[in-house]
Amino acid sequence: MRIGVLWNKLADPKNIPRLFAFSLGIILIVGLIVPMALNPDQLYPRPAPQVQVDEGLAIAPYDRGGEVLSQPGIIKPQYPDNAEALGMITGYMSPPAQWISSISPYFGTSIYSSPGGLIDEILYYTRGFDTILESSILMMSFIIASWLSINYTMNRKNDEKEIKADVKKAINESTQVANEVKVNDLKARSKQLRRDN
Amino acid sequence: MDFVTLGGNLLGTIPLGDIVLYVTPFNLFLFAVLLGFTLLIALSKPETQVEATMHNLNNTEVKVGPKEFKQRRFLSIICGIASAGAMITGDLFNFTLFMALVGILNIGIVSAVKQTTVLNSAFNYGLIAMMCSLPLFGGAAIILAATGTLSLAVLSQMPASPMVVFGAVLMLIGILGESGVAPFFASKAEMFRTAGSPFIVIIHLSSLFIIVRAVEILLLVLW
Repeated sequence: MRIGVLWNKLADPKNIPRLFAFSLGIILIVGLIVPMALNPDQLYPRPAPQVQVDEGLAIAPYDRGGEVLSQPGIIKPQYPDNAEALGMITGYMSPPAQWISSISPYFGTSIYSSPGGLIDEILYYTRGFDTILESSILMMSFIIASWLSINYTMNRKNDEKEIKADVKKAINESTQVANEVKVNDLKARSKQLRRDN
Repeated sequence: MDFVTLGGNLLGTIPLGDIVLYVTPFNLFLFAVLLGFTLLIALSKPETQVEATMHNLNNTEVKVGPKEFKQRRFLSIICGIASAGAMITGDLFNFTLFMALVGILNIGIVSAVKQTTVLNSAFNYGLIAMMCSLPLFGGAAIILAATGTLSLAVLSQMPASPMVVFGAVLMLIGILGESGVAPFFASKAEMFRTAGSPFIVIIHLSSLFIIVRAVEILLLVLW
């Protein structure tokens, strides 16, 4: 294949997502042979899997210890100077959460039921700026979607070019149908003639 | 590589918890240029295109209506601010979030247009932008898993392991797709063929600046 043909294919917007998906797939397959190992010295530390479950803690995989407003829990900031009060509300749970965790050993198995304070400390204290950005991405997509649903820009019904193309298509199709009818008619007639003779 | 060797002396930091924005002459220059350009866009009026018609002595005007103008100006200003933020951020995940925001705003600026060919290419770009969230956030997550941190100041002091290199390559392909660099340019280049010049130019400028910044970040992480 000549390279010009390839360039022309690259210039078609329709082919670009396919090309991108293909190259992404290649890189992900290469990723299978890259040695992967979790660095134990993580910024957001957590105990090894199953350790807390075996110990029988009430909020098993998410227990970070600490007492509300008196003793900080196990939580590590990147820059301790910027988050001096970190860890003070790590262990906070609402009264219903405390009650459920007292009667069920499976309370901690979903992210929704991890100690509320821990999520708050990461989302709104140490990484608060990320949370603002995430919600602004959502807000922008809602603005775009609502604008599009009010002013439907993809509407082609009144587009002149589109109408012209449709008329041309219709003419072509009707001539095609007429030709087919003609051919079939001829065939039927010749058959009839043969039978008559 | 240390960011002092790349961007010049550290002028100061803006601490926001774990996310510390840092200001070097290089980053400050990019930030100021983008903010200045955003201001120009906020003040300027869009251009009108004149198209010659085929087989006819006639011209058609492609104008930007008042409603479309308001929507596109708003999105362009946010896009300018978001890319300016990406210039001074000192956190890997923060950068990918800015990148995702810029991507979605680029689609939004174009989606207000009424030309169907432009909308088709914007749709194709949207498909890429959607796919890009996997390599962008996945790359940042792999780098976090390999080094245990997301702060660029700490990452720049660490040696790169094969896992970090893989994460950086993943991030790179995400950035390439999101900012529409060759060979993924066609869907984004077609988006520019519409009226309303300053709004279209911010799409171009934001991806240009983000590529420059991404090169700096990859150098910080890998060297």
